Amino acid sequence: MISMPPSERDLHAYVDHQLSDADRRLVETFLASNPEISAQVRAWQLDAQQLRAALGGALQQPANPNLDPALIRRRLKHQSRRHLASAAVLLIAVGVGGFSGWQARQMTLVGAPLPMTDALQAYRLIAQQEILPADYKASDDGDMQGWLDRYFNRANRLPDLAGAGFKPVSGRLLSTDQGPAAMVVYENLRGQRISFYVRPPGPKNFMLPRGSRSDGDLQAEYWSGGGYNYAMVSPADTAAAQMLRQTANF
Amino acid sequence: MNDIDEQLREIIPGLRRFAVSLTRNTSSADDLVQACLERALSSWGSKRAEGDLRAWLFSILYRQFLDAHRRSRRYARMLDFFTGRDDAQPSVERTVIAQSTLNAFDRLPTEQRALLLWVSVEGLSYKEVAEILDVPTGTVMSRLSRARQALRQLSDGEINRPSLRRLK
Repeated sequence: MISMPPSERDLHAYVDHQLSDADRRLVETFLASNPEISAQVRAWQLDAQQLRAALGGALQQPANPNLDPALIRRRLKHQSRRHLASAAVLLIAVGVGGFSGWQARQMTLVGAPLPMTDALQAYRLIAQQEILPADYKASDDGDMQGWLDRYFNRANRLPDLAGAGFKPVSGRLLSTDQGPAAMVVYENLRGQRISFYVRPPGPKNFMLPRGSRSDGDLQAEYWSGGGYNYAMVSPADTAAAQMLRQTANF
Repeated sequence: MNDIDEQLREIIPGLRRFAVSLTRNTSSADDLVQACLERALSSWGSKRAEGDLRAWLFSILYRQFLDAHRRSRRYARMLDFFTGRDDAQPSVERTVIAQSTLNAFDRLPTEQRALLLWVSVEGLSYKEVAEILDVPTGTVMSRLSRARQALRQLSDGEINRPSLRRLK
């Protein structure tokens, strides 16, 4: 049983229907003879009502099939098999010009990251699974270099892979735990994809010697230059992968 | 399994609404809901506390939002550099009735938005909210009181904005 006059907490509990019936009647009697407090309580009730009305529409969104529990269950089962293949990096995709905001997903933490793990992850998300859309698509005269220069104007030039049949087709900005990154996807006529990935070396200014490593079904060639780190990622065991591995300087 | 999935399906619209009120953006909100469901389903056996399923899911989603938000703030300046705009603007699709209350709500700090949504909109009990935030019930009540005052003041401010000043 609450005491009279009711405390402010009691009044909130009244607004929120969290009082017993007996207490509720006590408060109502009190309010009937205290117009000032009664007005305040009514204002709170009104705010709550308006909030419910205003947010009611948000319940009517069209269903998003990606949120179906059965589907998520299946995906989880699938992922747990590839658990060790993913690595420690936070990837935030930044939508430019579109309306998407931050999309952050913490990847599974498995010890210290290997060089340019984020480049491999970005390749999987963008070039393989197409989870993240492109920010920029090259038109026929496609000035991909111009797009990249808007963000990384001191960086190495985009490698020319036309000789191997690959042309830059789209670009995407990302952010990583080492700083902002950009990825350009090259494609050949058969739809095979290679990515060029650039980002700052991170707070520890970690520069990479020219190196190569494979990770699952992918291969990454990495190096540093012009104050940035780079990677070229491609499916392993392809002619393109071999060509990239034999390129000493991009 | 199917039984659990049915229960989840009923709660998902509420989770999406909560996520929108946190992120102010429907696509980020769905990412958040998805991450929340993934977490919930993968830790179902070990972590699932007794009590209201809805409150448990709200608490997972809220923590994930705070974690991600904390991390993303570190890159906020960089995001501005890329996007050249403040992403914290309420989106057009939320322009609905009770505009002044909603505008005021959108300007509240995260925790106050969450509190008001849980209590006033979703009707969670103080005890459930106390469990979500991991604070005593009394603390929930004083924070709720502050949130309500803040909403009240901001709503009045909305009405009294010069362009809307009709009342006298």
